[in-house]
Amino acid sequence: MKSEMIFSGIGGQGTILMGKLVCTAAAAKGMNVTLAPAYGQEKRGGRASCQVVLSKEIGSPVISEADTILVMDEESFKDYEKKVKAGGTLIINSSMISLTTARTDINVVEMPFTEIATNLGSARSSNMVALGAVVKTLDIVTLEDVKEVLRKKMKPQLVDVNLKALEAGYNFTK
Amino acid sequence: MAEKVFMQGNEAFAESAIRSGCKYFFGYPITPSSELPEYYAKKAPTEDLVFVQAETEVSAFNMIAGVAATGKRAMTATSGPGFSLGCEAMSYMAAAGLPAVVVDVMRPGPADGDILAAQGDYFQIVKGGGHGDYYTIVLAPYSVQEMSDFGRLSFELAEKYRNPVVVASDGMLSKMMENVELPEKIEVENNFDWAITGAKGREHNVITTCALGPEQWEQFNLDLQAKFNLIQENEQRWEEFQTEDADVIIVAYGSVARIALTAIKIARENGIKVGMIRPITLWPFPKKAFDKYPDKDYFVVELSAGQMVEDVKLSVKDKERVEFYGRLGGISPTPQELFEKMKELYTK
Repeated sequence: MKSEMIFSGIGGQGTILMGKLVCTAAAAKGMNVTLAPAYGQEKRGGRASCQVVLSKEIGSPVISEADTILVMDEESFKDYEKKVKAGGTLIINSSMISLTTARTDINVVEMPFTEIATNLGSARSSNMVALGAVVKTLDIVTLEDVKEVLRKKMKPQLVDVNLKALEAGYNFTK
Repeated sequence: MAEKVFMQGNEAFAESAIRSGCKYFFGYPITPSSELPEYYAKKAPTEDLVFVQAETEVSAFNMIAGVAATGKRAMTATSGPGFSLGCEAMSYMAAAGLPAVVVDVMRPGPADGDILAAQGDYFQIVKGGGHGDYYTIVLAPYSVQEMSDFGRLSFELAEKYRNPVVVASDGMLSKMMENVELPEKIEVENNFDWAITGAKGREHNVITTCALGPEQWEQFNLDLQAKFNLIQENEQRWEEFQTEDADVIIVAYGSVARIALTAIKIARENGIKVGMIRPITLWPFPKKAFDKYPDKDYFVVELSAGQMVEDVKLSVKDKERVEFYGRLGGISPTPQELFEKMKELYTK
């Protein structure tokens, strides 16, 4: 049982936090988890991404092809579109990305994270909408596992709105 | 078994060092090592630690030398540019027999370079770095668990041999987060008979890097060399993965060894029998590991233009059977990329 994913966006969009939450949920279930972050030297506006591996065994933190890739901005889309494994899922932040993929061998989910989060009253929760979409593609970690982590890790006043955002992302696709 | 925590490599090392009785940290922040000083600074008020942000690495390295001379555990952490500045002190600590610990989180150079992962400091760390005939013990962790484990082992080895120990991490390993089992906290009360602790009621101890006269200085050096020989005999450490039946043995350390684990799997699924020797000590280099397999092909992978590969060539029977692949600039190869390279080299 192994799941490999990449989260990529611009610094401040919460991509590394998403990776941490998934890892924390998987680690609580006894999985070996590896999160390898990468970010530029820029204080603002640089690329921020992470590669996440959930597995029974210990292996490479660097991913050849991922099961799930989340891209939050157009530059990330261009860099990672081709790294989705055949049969895997590419999740696209359509609030910021107007490009479309020509690939037909993968599942494509286009979701306006910012609009969905804004409608829920918290534009800043758009990364939780995105996380919901990612969790939908996973077997190892369930929606309830991630909710549990949010309840434990977040400030109490932020829990409700982020849980709602997470569910909205999860339930966006059937 | 203690509970596992999800933690970053740098922080795991710092927490482990604190739990291993290292109460003194002197350093100057530099990416990708900065979480180490940050962690010590944060914990200093509540854990009874001494933390100083020095004005430069030159000072930080000399500060740990000073504390180590008193027999207490002290460390610093830096990256390549800072390690270069500390090399003068490394030479003095090696000569004086001071058991300090230095973490070098390698990033791509030369000069400022970038802040991602690299292994281009191998020559500098493993071959001395400073002036004169000396070596430091060099440990190369490959997981956050080993970052934690070596937060203790590094001090034990440094004190056992009265020699500085360098932990060679890289920008991937140090920033990476994994679940890790931390060691139990211990209190360390060293009473070394050589330490400078105030000479009340006893003869003065002298820690020196100086002996007057060529004969005396040659003897000083011969004593050092005798110690280095002993370390080479006793402390070669490595780990083997599927080496017995392998036709090709990858040689890799640090985060590259992790990438190789998955590459081995892909290669075996595709009919190439690959194994790995993973050096855990870069100095002493684990020559003994290679004696067991004189008739195999070796494939060395590094995040450098080829540095450890020289030691591999010195350790094998036939250096013509050693191939090298390296990436530069902060790029780590994917497991698939390593497999493709092996396919090209080893299938006709």
